[in-house]
Amino acid sequence: MERNIYAYKCKRCGHVQYPYRTICRNCHENDHNEFDIVPLPKKGKLLTFTHLFNPPSDFSTVFLSLGIVELEDGSRITGQLSIERPTIGMHVRANVEVVRKDEYNQYYGMVFYEA
Amino acid sequence: MRDVYVAGIGITSFTRLEYPLVEIAAYPGLMAMRESGIKSIDQLYVANMGAARVNHQSGLASAVVDNLSLTPAGAETIENGPASGASAIKQGFLAVASGMHDTVMVIGAERMREVNNLEATDFVATLTHPMAEYIYGVTLPSLAGMFARLYMEKYGVTSRHLAMVAVKNHKHAMDNFYAHLHEEITLEGILDSPDASTNNPIVADPLRYYDMCPVSDGGACLILTTADLAKKTGKPMVRLAGVGQATDTHAVHDRKDPTDLLAVREAAKKSFAMAGVKPADVHVAELHDAFTILEIVESEEAGFFERGQGHVALQEGYTRIGGKLPINPSGGLKAKGHPVGATGVGQAHEIVLQLWSEAGKRQVKNAKVGFTCNFGGFGNNVVCLTFIREG
Amino acid sequence: MSIDLEKILRPTDTPLPEYPPKYMTLAGGEQLVIRQVTREEIPEILPHVEPLMHVERDFYDIVASRVYAELLGYYTYRVQDEYVLAAQIDGELVAVVNGRMANKDVGISYHTLALRRGLRVGAHAFAAKMEYHLDILGQKEVLIVAESPIGFRRWMIEYKLEKRFHVPHELGGCPSWSLTRELYDAARDTLIVGRRPVPEQLLKKAQQAILPPTDPPRPPVDLLAATRSLYDSTATALLEQRKKLGGLRDA
Repeated sequence: MERNIYAYKCKRCGHVQYPYRTICRNCHENDHNEFDIVPLPKKGKLLTFTHLFNPPSDFSTVFLSLGIVELEDGSRITGQLSIERPTIGMHVRANVEVVRKDEYNQYYGMVFYEA
Repeated sequence: MRDVYVAGIGITSFTRLEYPLVEIAAYPGLMAMRESGIKSIDQLYVANMGAARVNHQSGLASAVVDNLSLTPAGAETIENGPASGASAIKQGFLAVASGMHDTVMVIGAERMREVNNLEATDFVATLTHPMAEYIYGVTLPSLAGMFARLYMEKYGVTSRHLAMVAVKNHKHAMDNFYAHLHEEITLEGILDSPDASTNNPIVADPLRYYDMCPVSDGGACLILTTADLAKKTGKPMVRLAGVGQATDTHAVHDRKDPTDLLAVREAAKKSFAMAGVKPADVHVAELHDAFTILEIVESEEAGFFERGQGHVALQEGYTRIGGKLPINPSGGLKAKGHPVGATGVGQAHEIVLQLWSEAGKRQVKNAKVGFTCNFGGFGNNVVCLTFIREG
Repeated sequence: MSIDLEKILRPTDTPLPEYPPKYMTLAGGEQLVIRQVTREEIPEILPHVEPLMHVERDFYDIVASRVYAELLGYYTYRVQDEYVLAAQIDGELVAVVNGRMANKDVGISYHTLALRRGLRVGAHAFAAKMEYHLDILGQKEVLIVAESPIGFRRWMIEYKLEKRFHVPHELGGCPSWSLTRELYDAARDTLIVGRRPVPEQLLKKAQQAILPPTDPPRPPVDLLAATRSLYDSTATALLEQRKKLGGLRDA
């Protein structure tokens, strides 16, 4: 099964927002939950990144690479990077994987690879 | 609205404090009352971010008001992330300005060193967006790292500029008894020597160890009151003239330009407009340099320098004590310390001290207008204050 | 008669290679020299350690008391195969580390006492001690216990020590932790710094005299900073101390 991260498309103005907001940021329509759920695209370019050398204690890696990616449709997302030498502006593709686990839960998120 | 004046101030060392949070809050309150001679307080605001989580104590204000034997005065705990301090001052301002209360005590207090660094960082990381940021392992240092990388690329800022902020603020803190870090550092020691990579390892690339503020405990206090009551204290009249607050998107990636700190710009603008001054009128500023890059960018967003010119001003010595606009004469969050909930009150404490001309060796000459920027989240909730000395 | 008794009391030291002095640049730009001190220099160090026995914060009291005893033990020939390294800036004593060789393969780390806070002074001195055991003496592992949370966090997080909980440590603290050669090699690039030989002037200055620390940790002057309240959430200890000192004073 292919997993996706979903964004929220306003039924009135068509603005796509991620993460979820109760009221559309663009048209401020305030009917409850008037959004279509749309999957975020999985290709984009890397806007900025960091290698974090003191990751939270539940990560067992020496460092954690994180980045902000501008996706094909113009929306943006923060994700983990699985790229050895990232550069600003490089093309990346995403895979939705488990990005964090605590005792009983696991969380899925976007992990980016070199395109 | 009535004018609001500062009647008294107090502070603890920003460091690791080995006494209970309630006393960290009470001690500065005691100092402020003794100094101003004020014994009756109508309302207490206590700024704190993590007592319930870190210190296993909720309802902090109720504990503090009793500890100071101020009951039955009103008391509220104000939580607004790392901007809690300035937010509490804002509430104090509103209470006096509106005529509801005549004398208001604002305290900021935090005890973060009760837990280890990783836990403290995780506690602060809960500020980030739970589903879009936190789950990836995003912490505040990593947001600062991503922000810094983009900003540096765009405006030609280098690690050397960032290190200069650290060197400057560590130097300023040497003359501040209450500062967390009393260690003078040099560019050679943290950047150029063969041992620099061990002295100053990378934490969130491109940010290094000395680009980050320490985790501190500490408390600070400001007593706000009316003109009539403030005159009785015999201190120079310092008016809290401008209060501005603005917010930005919760998730950092959601911002149109991720190198913009829109909330700082808006909050500063509002604060200056209310005070009726321009950025160029400011003599001394305390900016929220939890990460060195932030001091540079905030100095631009507040309107002190053109976009992309903050690091140039820094390099030219503009922002050190003795320069044209000294920034963070107290040592800033970088060296004075960052007890999150107390920081905003601590910044105001320094500005009032400067405007009273009581800052000793780190005194900025003829300081009449002071400015603070207290930055919550990663720039999603910012409170800026402008203080003016009258006469 | 008494001479004979002293012979019995005094352990025989194994001849150990000397720790070759090294130097490094600190974040503040000062040059830190780390060198082995001789038995004759111990009386120069003791007076600087003694005041810290009364600093009731950050476990300085317990660590300084034990270091004092260990140095005295070394000076009076009561501990076998002990060594003491000193870290100095311009002659000023900023850290003391010591330990001993338990046997050919196992080293015992005793204490790390920083007489100046910050700038990784203690960390550099500790690293030098590990370097002595593993590189110079060629041992296989060093057993370590931490007596303060600061030490624990630093050593355990930076070096990721292995558990040796079944081995009691000489200092009395069990569980022991071990720095093995493997872990040491992994940490070498980032944590073990310093250059040799030390420039002659620098070394001479260090050897000339062990100068007192200029800014040693002091007992809390701020009355509210009584460490005992750490274990006393009601802070009665604090009140007692205040009473004793005659009320509040300015910080």
